[in-house]
Amino acid sequence: MPRIAVDAMGGDFAPDEVVKGVATVSLESEIEVVLVGDSARIQALLDEGPYNPEIISVRHCTSSIGMAEDPHEALRAKRDASIAVAARMVADGEADALVTAGNTGAAVLCAAKNFKLIRGVRRAALASVYPRETELPGQDVFGLLLDVGATIRCEAAELAQFAVMGSAYARRVSKQPSPRVGLLNMGREEGKGGDVLVEAHRMLRELPSIHFVGNVEGNDVATGRADVVVAEGLLGNVVLKLLEGIGEAASHLAAQAAHDSWRVRLGMAMLAPGIEKVRDMTDFSTYGGAPILGFERLCIKAHGRSSARAVANAVKVAAKAVRDRIADEIAESVAGIR
Amino acid sequence: MSPRDSQPAADGAGEGEPSIVFRWDLDKTYLRTEFESLRKLVLIPFEAATEKVHLPGVPQLMGGLRRAALARGDRPFVFFLSASPPQIGAEIRKKLALDGIEYDGIVFKDQWRNLVRGRFRSIREQVGYKLGELLRGRRDGPRTREVLFGDDWESDPVIYSLYADVLAGRLGGDRLAGLLDRLGVERDAVHRIDRLAREIAGDGPGEGVLRIYINLERRSPPSRFKAFGPRLVPAFNYFQTALSLYEVGVLDAVGLGEIAGALHERGWSGERLRNSLDDLVRRGHLSAETADRAILVLHRDGQDLQSASERTLGARAVSAMLRLRRRMARSQPEAKEPGPIDWETLVEHWVAHRSG
Repeated sequence: MPRIAVDAMGGDFAPDEVVKGVATVSLESEIEVVLVGDSARIQALLDEGPYNPEIISVRHCTSSIGMAEDPHEALRAKRDASIAVAARMVADGEADALVTAGNTGAAVLCAAKNFKLIRGVRRAALASVYPRETELPGQDVFGLLLDVGATIRCEAAELAQFAVMGSAYARRVSKQPSPRVGLLNMGREEGKGGDVLVEAHRMLRELPSIHFVGNVEGNDVATGRADVVVAEGLLGNVVLKLLEGIGEAASHLAAQAAHDSWRVRLGMAMLAPGIEKVRDMTDFSTYGGAPILGFERLCIKAHGRSSARAVANAVKVAAKAVRDRIADEIAESVAGIR
Repeated sequence: MSPRDSQPAADGAGEGEPSIVFRWDLDKTYLRTEFESLRKLVLIPFEAATEKVHLPGVPQLMGGLRRAALARGDRPFVFFLSASPPQIGAEIRKKLALDGIEYDGIVFKDQWRNLVRGRFRSIREQVGYKLGELLRGRRDGPRTREVLFGDDWESDPVIYSLYADVLAGRLGGDRLAGLLDRLGVERDAVHRIDRLAREIAGDGPGEGVLRIYINLERRSPPSRFKAFGPRLVPAFNYFQTALSLYEVGVLDAVGLGEIAGALHERGWSGERLRNSLDDLVRRGHLSAETADRAILVLHRDGQDLQSASERTLGARAVSAMLRLRRRMARSQPEAKEPGPIDWETLVEHWVAHRSG
């Protein structure tokens, strides 16, 4: 069984929701989990609910990195931070993968500092899953967007590698035999977007190992046109935050409208079951987290606002990725394009 | 069919002979009885002894406790107390024989009599029945140190802790009657318990019950049992129970090794046993020193309880970690004697949350 190191102190609702999520996993599966963090706080939380102590161990450490802290500074000052200890455990082979809902920058830095890049991989990519419309039968309701911030500016070859890595991950985790890969651009035409994107388009088109569907525009991201959307970190991050922002703004606007008018309230009440269904389908907690791809060791970055359910699913995704030997799959795919 | 079996006389241990009593519940404590559904409940009386399944490590624990007691010069007594009807007694006795368990008495609940007398509430009621039988067993049997084994399915934690505090002279009279009333015990049972409590009160105060072990068969949250104090140890498996008994000197290293071995044979890896041990330490029911000693003892016995970290880091790092843990344990303040149980609050809480 895979052993997953979980950063117990990382996330907006840590350690409570993280520990609860791990306790849930311990009752539902045989996945072994090492909770890394303040041992006394972790045990006090475990004591509050049902759990299986036989597959949970605790690695005590004294500090943690806050969500708003500068990751460089914080990691320099806190060598004993839970995320750093968890990453070292994975690097040393004490655990097979790392799961954290904590500071994204710190997660990326810890992975970069402790894990080796897969041979041939030039840059690691931080992926993110997002809810989207599906167009084809069997498509996952979540798309994969990478990179969303690990590498700010990329070369064409790096974007091509991101596509290969994302495709390998989607093949294994989303069980899509041939995931559709799109390159995020300002137009569908292959000559758009400047030298890097034009060159990346050419390289992707010539890669036999992936199902490249061409350039995708911003309005394609939320559709099922591509299962894997590739972008350089700056652009990917902007798109991700835009998606989240629009979702939140829509919720606020609806709440405001309902507050102002009883007709809207009535209409929303009638639509409530449908809204609830959509919310359930697109709830990020069902997916758990997204990987940092390109390292020999796996790190799953869960959403900062992860609930216990999201953490539990992130641990399951990590275990599945370990069992499915994602890193080996990526290594083979990358070797195939060299 | 008698609901009681071979209860020894009060002088069964022999005058002044050191002895120890182990009292066991049957279902969910010794046996993996499934009465979650009506169908499974109905099938229990028809189960043959060979179909009954014991919980991993229990026969080995019972054997180990007996041997360790004899080695210390204590005479061990083993009693079973069940809320099941005596009609299943024959198969239970066969099962005990199959498992090689020696025992001195077994009590079943005479449900037929309750039915005939139209006392339907008594059929489900556990606290009055079990507490009464425990006190009667104490009155008629050896009055010595006791270790009690139950589970989290119904009310064993409350019953055993009430019994322990009655023996210790901390509970009795109107206060006990009030608590029993709040727990739904029928009036005549309350009177009987009061009478029995007065009869054994002559023993004088003292800690008659050494430990209470609650098998967390339902995986109840351990925090649910904090109010019962450190005398009650909620355990997720019988390796945890064995570790605690090893710490208090009731089980020896050989017995501990046998239970670890029994669990190992049933699929528990060294890592799982180690995690169980560490969990017990974190919950404050096992000292770091005993944990280290148990790891070494089991290692000598051929049981590898190294954690993944220790395997990865190597022996030198392990020694360093053990030294650090011992230092940390020494630097912690001495555990204070637990205060008395706040019975009124505990019972209110228990009544509000009980499911069995």
